[in-house]
Amino acid sequence: MLEQFERHLTRALEGVLAAGMLGIFGIIVILVAMRYGFQTGLVGANELATVAFVYVSSLGAAVAVGKDEHIRVDLISGRLSHRGRKTLRIISLTLVGLLNLVVAAYSMSWIATTGYTPLPASQLPRYLAQASVPLGCFLALVYCCAKILATLRKEPGS
Amino acid sequence: MIVLLLAGLLVLIGAGVPIAYSLGVSVLLYIVLSDPHLIFVLPLQVFAGFHSYALMSLPLFILMGQVMNSAQITSRLIDFSMLLAGRFRSGLGLVNVLASMLFGGISGSSASDTASIGSVLIPEMEKRGYRKEVAAGITVASSTMGMVIPPSIPMVLYAVVAHQSVGKLFLGGVFPGILVGLMQMGLVQALARTGISREARRPTLASALDRTLRSIPVLLMPVVVVGSVVFGIATATESAALGVLYAALAGFLLTRALGIKSFWECLRSSTLTSAKIMIVIALSQAYIWILALERIPEALAEMIVGLGLGATGTLLLIDLIILCAGTIIDVSPAILLLTPVFAPALQELGVSPILFGVLLVSGLAVGACTPPVGTCLNVGAAIANLDIGTIFRGAAPFLAANAATLFLATVFPQIALWLPERLMP
Repeated sequence: MLEQFERHLTRALEGVLAAGMLGIFGIIVILVAMRYGFQTGLVGANELATVAFVYVSSLGAAVAVGKDEHIRVDLISGRLSHRGRKTLRIISLTLVGLLNLVVAAYSMSWIATTGYTPLPASQLPRYLAQASVPLGCFLALVYCCAKILATLRKEPGS
Repeated sequence: MIVLLLAGLLVLIGAGVPIAYSLGVSVLLYIVLSDPHLIFVLPLQVFAGFHSYALMSLPLFILMGQVMNSAQITSRLIDFSMLLAGRFRSGLGLVNVLASMLFGGISGSSASDTASIGSVLIPEMEKRGYRKEVAAGITVASSTMGMVIPPSIPMVLYAVVAHQSVGKLFLGGVFPGILVGLMQMGLVQALARTGISREARRPTLASALDRTLRSIPVLLMPVVVVGSVVFGIATATESAALGVLYAALAGFLLTRALGIKSFWECLRSSTLTSAKIMIVIALSQAYIWILALERIPEALAEMIVGLGLGATGTLLLIDLIILCAGTIIDVSPAILLLTPVFAPALQELGVSPILFGVLLVSGLAVGACTPPVGTCLNVGAAIANLDIGTIFRGAAPFLAANAATLFLATVFPQIALWLPERLMP
């Protein structure tokens, strides 16, 4: 059940990430084409691409937690017993989850204070971009909890 | 308190916590114990790390490399390299190095170079009598040029962190990259020739012309990408997007190996690869902010300058530190952590930040091929089905070329600086 939920969430998020990346690529190519082809531009388009990029990075980091793909150094854990590895993994996931919880919680007051200032070119409220941080952190926290539960349930040798 | 920050980071990284989160957790620990009010800075620093137009070139360069891989351009590069070097003694070894040089000018990533060239050439070299560890070693060592020869993803990262011109850094990597390639070719000739016969016959003029023409669209790619940045036609981000467009067109129309599904897959995997780097960037921002708050870079600069080694002596010392750091830490986090630490000292000594960037990336490229965390080594191990220690033994003689180039460029900075000074004064 938990694994199924995780799989569906990851698949949905990966779809969003790919679409976001396509959007960034499309916006930049269109801007270059407009600059050289028509000597014009689109006000706020660069800002829109940057906002998309912030979401892609933030959600992508959460998906990487879910897929265990973050850059790490496996010097010690590889030499431990199954029990040791399991303990270390739970500690690691707890720390990652804790950090994400803190960042998500404190970003709320930060967004409440500065989020209504408009972005300079597109005039969109800044919170649209800033919301990516708590959203990404929340998703990473969900993945951490799911992975901790899955690790606790896993039998030795499985 | 600063000892806690550094020790915390080392313990967490050693314990297998992802590097990005090791940085974040040690910052959190520092803040909680020293000044809890600073905790409000954490989300701000994370957002600042993500919110950068210049850094958008990173996922686009990664996407460009992946689209090129899916477009199966490797076979054309290898075929062209075979045309140039296949006839000579140890031809396949030379072809491997030459293909990596050309591939480095297209993908910007060493790991994808190892994967795509290794999967074709390692089995072929083994068939022609090369020992497997030597074949894998040449592949892994030559893939380091992917990071040095432009376009280079680590150079983009350094440019953003150090606020330097991407174009100048790209140009700075040209001669050191070529020098590494030439030295590796020399080493292949010297070390891998025993018992190896010529691999290919002299091609006919018509076949040579045909093979060259087939390779031209692929070989033009670095010209488009690097040229557009160097000559001010596009920003680094725009040139990366143009590179993706070029690669996609080549894949859809020229090689016809790219489909909608595989392009979508490239989009998906490039976002994940870039997000892994972006989260390191975001959380290293917070870490570096604390280091700056504690005035660590200034203190370190004072200490380094106080050693009285002069610019070249200091750079040689830093080269050694870079080589050591590269063995235990991945390229992106190493760039993010070492740049702000060493840059103030080098600035005080009058060292060009472009030179430092080229040396940093060249040195860390060696680390990508050394145990225990060598990314290319791991990719090579998976392809050749050998353990990383065996591949490292095969790669070590060829990595000497990288180390030699690093020290040569330190002593003779014009190797890295001549081209950017001429084309982008």
